[in-house]
Amino acid sequence: MPDSVTAGQAGTGVTGVVAPATGVAGTGVSPALLELDAVCKSFGKVVVADNLSLAVGEAELVGIVGPNGAGKSSLFGLIAGDLAPSSGHIFFAGKGVTKADAAARCRLGIGRTFQVPKPFGAMTVFENVLVAVQQGGGLRGRASYAAAVEVLERTGLAADVNLPAERLGLLSRKRLEVARALATRPRLLLLDEVAGGLTDPEVAQLADIVRAISAEGIAIIWIEHVVHALTATVSRLLCLSGGLIIGDGEPETVLAMPAVREVFLGTEVTAELRAADPVTGPAPASAADREQA
Amino acid sequence: MSAVGQDTQAAGGQHPRVAARGPAAGRVVTRSRRSALWAGLAAVVAIAILGYLPYLVFSDTTGLMVQFFQLLIMASMWNLLAGYAGLVSVGHQAFIGLGAYFVVLLAMHGLSPFTAIPIATAAAGVVGLPVWWLVSRLRSGYFAITMWVIASVCMLIIIQISSLGSGTGIALSGLTQSPTLLAADTYWATLAVAVLAIAGIYALLRSRLGLALTAIRDDEAGAKSIGGRVGSVQRLVFLVTALGCGAAGALYAISQQFIVPTAAFDVSFTAEMIFITIIGGIGTIEGPIIGTIVFFILQQTLSADGTWYWIVLGLVAIAVAIWAPRGIWGLVSEKFGIRLFPVGYYVWPAGEQPRRLLARSARP
Ligand SMILES: Nc1ncnc2c1ncn2[C@@H]1O[C@H](COP(=O)(O)OP(=O)(O)OP(=O)(O)O)[C@@H](O)[C@H]1O
Ligand SMILES: [Mg+2]
Repeated sequence: MPDSVTAGQAGTGVTGVVAPATGVAGTGVSPALLELDAVCKSFGKVVVADNLSLAVGEAELVGIVGPNGAGKSSLFGLIAGDLAPSSGHIFFAGKGVTKADAAARCRLGIGRTFQVPKPFGAMTVFENVLVAVQQGGGLRGRASYAAAVEVLERTGLAADVNLPAERLGLLSRKRLEVARALATRPRLLLLDEVAGGLTDPEVAQLADIVRAISAEGIAIIWIEHVVHALTATVSRLLCLSGGLIIGDGEPETVLAMPAVREVFLGTEVTAELRAADPVTGPAPASAADREQA
Repeated sequence: MSAVGQDTQAAGGQHPRVAARGPAAGRVVTRSRRSALWAGLAAVVAIAILGYLPYLVFSDTTGLMVQFFQLLIMASMWNLLAGYAGLVSVGHQAFIGLGAYFVVLLAMHGLSPFTAIPIATAAAGVVGLPVWWLVSRLRSGYFAITMWVIASVCMLIIIQISSLGSGTGIALSGLTQSPTLLAADTYWATLAVAVLAIAGIYALLRSRLGLALTAIRDDEAGAKSIGGRVGSVQRLVFLVTALGCGAAGALYAISQQFIVPTAAFDVSFTAEMIFITIIGGIGTIEGPIIGTIVFFILQQTLSADGTWYWIVLGLVAIAVAIWAPRGIWGLVSEKFGIRLFPVGYYVWPAGEQPRRLLARSARP
């Protein structure tokens, strides 16, 4: 069964049921791998998903921007099964997964990172990835060891394999998040600010990793405040604000939209948009990253 | 226990997407950096000496050891439950009491108490099923308290049964051996269960499931996100601890020979399990072993004076919480980098290999 979620190979295999296309038009990639249909969620008065509809195609690489508290991470929570929507439906690979828990969705092929890394602190870097290969990826024994070593190589963690994860610095922690999610052999990878708080060369390295993963046919949704990293990488950009999608399309088009510009008015993103060249220097970190630092 | 050689495997390219590329594809993965052979041999020698003890010492000494091993079994179970599965129970005395009363009941029907141990153990595990069904829906604080309530309910039910001695207690029948032989048999049975319990926990933690369990220990939300079936892993661990505490209760009945509901279902069993696990080091196999030794020494030297006993236990717990939050074993293993029970993995640097003893079957 776990073989059905083998990333990069499953694209041709699972095309069966397609959920009804709804809401925001995607980029025309079909069939949709992930589909959100009128999803609502709020924490008291804070609305994080306001009748949200969204379709993401197989192997698509989508970026998400939006101000702090826009509901970006909550959207990942809804997709990955950490948050239950108050109404609406979520489909993955043609299956309704609204009622499925986080572990089941991971086994179906949704891999996610957390904005604030959640390493298994007392376990080594290798063990962190191995457990993901075994649980989410469904591999055992030698095959799981090989897969774990391979993922660690690709994500640039090969030198730290035997280190307890709690001893890692921020860059390596963020990489471990990516490695662990990748190790579950996902068809859809959710990256939540994996470049937050990193220096520009580090961001560039991460963007390379993301592009390589995408090239394998794994769909990716990437939340990031570092807009220039996104625009250089993604083919489609969403702008989220107050639980609403206020922009969806080509990165340049979305960033030029009046509604999007208004949301970012006076923020670093605006400065970045104004600049002719991509801005260098550390990108604005979100609240959670600052807390951590 | 020296299974390192067997487990030693090369990370060969069998992963569909990997197809052995780069130097890492040939890196050797073993279960510990050093050979666990010596630790395994030491364990065998220690068990052999402990097994021979009844021929060397008087029965009052083996009687103390029986108490020691019962505490060790209980604490190891509580550590597995709270330290790994994240389930903090203050009601596991329910399974101790049930294990004890199952032995009494079986002995009343003519079974030898020693033969009754495995049956009583299994029965306690069976009771664990509906209990889990009930408490698995509850969040941490409610889980802990409900377990306590369940233990109290079990006790109240037993008190209602006059054939089991009601509240005044009942003597265990069927112990026909001479006192010396009975003491030795009790000791051997307790030692066997303790060795089985520790070996079982060790095997569990080294397995694929154990790695998932360790991940749950470190971060439950993270474990769910990588596909860990937290609920079913927790259920398994809960049932294992029900079995373990049931066995400890069965041994308790045999060593006491007379049991009273208020003592068999006493919450201080759980208080001791918690104390031992915390001071020894929660979330490690070694922790409860060290903790039981420390607790036992404190108990034996201080129990003459009831007040001081509790004051000193409290002070020790506070001191450990402040200066050694990972317990005594946490301090020791951090300082010297030792593990008596290696459950993890070691990846050898590219091109390097373990020495022959470790890597007999390393490369294909
Ligand atoms: N579990 C929760 N309980 C209550 N409120 C929450 C919870 N999770 C998120 N929120 C609130 O929901 C809003 C959206 O949070 P979310 O983390 O989704 O924002 P975000 O777009 O990811 O922001 P950032 O860019 O800072 O990461 C915030 O106001 C936050 O305080
Ligand atoms: Mg966020």
